Amino acid sequence: MSSRSENCLTRRSLLKAGVGAATMAALGGCVSDTAAELGIGTTDRTATPVADANTAFGNCWMCCHNCAQEVKVTDDGTVVGITGVDGNPRGSAGPGTEGTLCPKGLGQLDKTHDPERIKQPYIRVDGELREATWEEAFEYTAERLEAFDEEYGAETFLDAGSWAETPIFRTIWRDLYGTPERIGRGVHVCAGATFVSGSMMGIGSNNRIPDYQNSEYLIMWGRNPLESFAGQFEAKGILKAIEENNATLVTIDPQYTETAEKSDMWLPIKPRTDGALALAMANVIIEEELYDAEFVENHTYGFEAYQEAVADRTPEWAAEITDLDADAIRDIARGFAEAAPQAGISVWAGTAQTGNSWKTTQNINALNGLVGNIDRPGGLRFWKSSPIADPFEVCEWTPDDKATETTIGVDLPNNAEGKTPAFRKYDEYSDNPARHITGIAHNLVPEMVENGHINGMYCHHDMPLKDGNAEAWLKALDEMELVIAVDAYWNGITRNADVVFADATQLEKDTIGTGSWSSYSDKQWVVGGKAAVEPQFNTKPDWEILTGIAEAMGWGEYFPWEDHEEFIDDQLSKVDLTLEELSSGEANYELVGEYGYEQWRDSDGPAFKFDLDQVGPFTKAAEEAGMGTAPEWHPPGTYGDELSEEYPLEFYDIRSVFFSHGSDQGIDRLLEQFARKNDLEEKDYRGNYLHINPIDAEARDIEMGDIVTVESKTGSGELMAHVTELIKPGVVTSEYGFGEGSTQQDYEGMNTMILHDTQMDPITGQPDRHLAVEVTGGE
Amino acid sequence: MGEQWGFYFDSDKCIGCHACSVSCKQRHGRDPEQDEWRTVKNVTTGEFPDVSSLPISMSCMHCSDAPCEKVCPCNSIQKREEDGIVVVDRDSCIGCHYCGWACPYGAPTYDDGGIMSKCNLCIGEGPGGGYGMPPREEQEDGGAQPACVDNCVGGAIEAGPVSELKEKASTKAVEQFEQEPANVIVEANREDTNAFPYEA
Repeated sequence: MSSRSENCLTRRSLLKAGVGAATMAALGGCVSDTAAELGIGTTDRTATPVADANTAFGNCWMCCHNCAQEVKVTDDGTVVGITGVDGNPRGSAGPGTEGTLCPKGLGQLDKTHDPERIKQPYIRVDGELREATWEEAFEYTAERLEAFDEEYGAETFLDAGSWAETPIFRTIWRDLYGTPERIGRGVHVCAGATFVSGSMMGIGSNNRIPDYQNSEYLIMWGRNPLESFAGQFEAKGILKAIEENNATLVTIDPQYTETAEKSDMWLPIKPRTDGALALAMANVIIEEELYDAEFVENHTYGFEAYQEAVADRTPEWAAEITDLDADAIRDIARGFAEAAPQAGISVWAGTAQTGNSWKTTQNINALNGLVGNIDRPGGLRFWKSSPIADPFEVCEWTPDDKATETTIGVDLPNNAEGKTPAFRKYDEYSDNPARHITGIAHNLVPEMVENGHINGMYCHHDMPLKDGNAEAWLKALDEMELVIAVDAYWNGITRNADVVFADATQLEKDTIGTGSWSSYSDKQWVVGGKAAVEPQFNTKPDWEILTGIAEAMGWGEYFPWEDHEEFIDDQLSKVDLTLEELSSGEANYELVGEYGYEQWRDSDGPAFKFDLDQVGPFTKAAEEAGMGTAPEWHPPGTYGDELSEEYPLEFYDIRSVFFSHGSDQGIDRLLEQFARKNDLEEKDYRGNYLHINPIDAEARDIEMGDIVTVESKTGSGELMAHVTELIKPGVVTSEYGFGEGSTQQDYEGMNTMILHDTQMDPITGQPDRHLAVEVTGGE
Repeated sequence: MGEQWGFYFDSDKCIGCHACSVSCKQRHGRDPEQDEWRTVKNVTTGEFPDVSSLPISMSCMHCSDAPCEKVCPCNSIQKREEDGIVVVDRDSCIGCHYCGWACPYGAPTYDDGGIMSKCNLCIGEGPGGGYGMPPREEQEDGGAQPACVDNCVGGAIEAGPVSELKEKASTKAVEQFEQEPANVIVEANREDTNAFPYEA
């Protein structure tokens, strides 16, 4: 807010210079004009900007999980208030409950008017980025794309269009430009093994979000959903299960989190040994005949192999490996099995960002099949997406060459057809088992650039520099022939791009949100918002940026919609709604469908597979990686780093409640709260922190607030130490999304992936973020 | 005197996310780095692995026998008859900080000119927004929901007339409340937990 006074001395600078209150008052105008605007710093008791403002709706995109927003906007188009919408699916605990926004979501108020944003388009001329008009930027982009296709081939252009608020980027890059190269978030850099093993075993990616509200026993396995949630309904659902069902909450995490604080049991496991714990739990459950024999017998495949795999995996065996107590392992095995089917395990990134994540996740997933909690109330839920239409299929369309003939549906070409991604096409990558499973591996993109197999990239809000192998990625960015970036902030991607499109942020555009999981266990839903304010500065919503590129490329005919709202209305036509209807009235969400449990009964074949020996692509990958098809134990270091005398500490990165992926690390208000949360707000430092146990800190003469150096075999970085009893000795962690290349203006803190090289899960190519490090440099 | 208003805080529902602090600052137009009217602290005790880290959200307690009001040399601090909310008249405040010394909870904050501001239970907006405002109304009667209550993700904070808050609270919490001047009812269900109110 201080930025509002940027054209004159701020209150702060005046008073710091020792000017008293009387002088302040005498200065009048300068101070009060800006302050009165929001009723700030005045004694004007009638100034109530929030109370007097107009109401609009939105759906939060700070972490891209669609908590509904109610915003207050003044007549001059300033957002002055923001809060949640009662009863909304992602941001409340369900019907009749209060809707809220988390601190990130509240940060959208600041983000909307943040003067640090990219304010207009830029193009690179003679090596330098210079301001451009929108028309210039579109023309320049089209010229560069055409030249790129001629010289390098469109198939060497990487689509990294994640977190867009419109799906049409896929249409443009795959169908029209014709590239098969695509990197997404889920499988490629977030939780490869969680998603892929879940799908192969029969539970999809529903292993992430149990049916919280109906549950009696919840295990948060390498997850901290009270701080790092996919919509606040997760935190709210867990608290509700505790309050209403007296549910038992168990947290398995080397770090004592807010989720651990609320848990009945906290198991501070040694990192990367979760797979051993899961096998031991199964050993107890089978040994004590606590499993769902009917479900296993009639609805699963491969139980014998599983049984064999866990036969000698006793709690005592696992206790040695995991640093946990054998009795505690027995306790949670029994508690989980006895509460089933009203018992759920949640896994996501924590257990998936390791080299041995495949078997870890397979072993954990198997526990669900064992106790038969699959799509049963309080267990794992087969969340069902909302039924919306594909506008390209339902719209009225008149092709350019048939000016009078209108048809239903756009006849899109498929220009990527028959093209193979480099990962699968070239021998250079043939020693990577993951190519049987996925079309790209994040860590190998720099190598592909070096080999000339990828020569350019479209990047939308994505921050690959925080996702692994950062040093090599920075170099690769430099080498790429063409980088097109769409973003709201300057960061390592936008600063290195050839074209920068200034994206409007979420409250400045029409949006709809759909999804599966929510606080409504059996309902499908949509949430929507019309732009609450005009695009700020000289920015445009991504819809207009993408259709602008399409127009300049001569693909305008494939986008017959007047604007994004019309496109959204086509999406909503399947549920008989328009965006106007959805976002007017008291709330901006609708429940649009209902579905029951045990949906696996609707399909043939087993509901659940313990052994994946019949899954073709996996068996090939597993054979190459030297692993079996059934659950089994892979010690840390089987794939990935081993701790050594030189690098004795295990590092991995984490997330805090104040930041999501990579796009809000630059918001002052969130940085400030983050510093307060770590009790380091007095320090002149707003980067990420290295959480380290006093035992490890003292051994290195490190004190709270010291700037320390973290070094791995391949990289090093500096950040501030946060010495805390809340972390297991021998383990150090830090929040990702900071440091070099981040959206934080001065790159303060450490880019955690500077420490990283190409470590990955061999099956999915998911970066392995557990690294052997040493920490030095106490002051 | 009208009925005393206060807060209710349930530590079992607080997830330490700071949404209350952020929304308070946004409602009252306060810069990120300014001191907070509502602040969250994790009270961390023990040694690994026997640790606890209890998140506590607190603000001005709107004390029944407000020490800040008593020490204010300019009578700028007022304990309102109509709803018991403690407010400050910033026009007459001289920035002596006596209230800060007197307050056991560290609730008063001072801007760069030294003038005091603090939680006014959202009867107005901005630092000067509490003084001289009409009596506090409940939300259903048109009163603004305090920002911290409105945005508490875990539903840990509530505000209202003390008699209503007491009805929601456990006997233990009410008993403890009766012994303190602070008008905040604190639910701390866990045994052995006595971390609140902490000394700021």
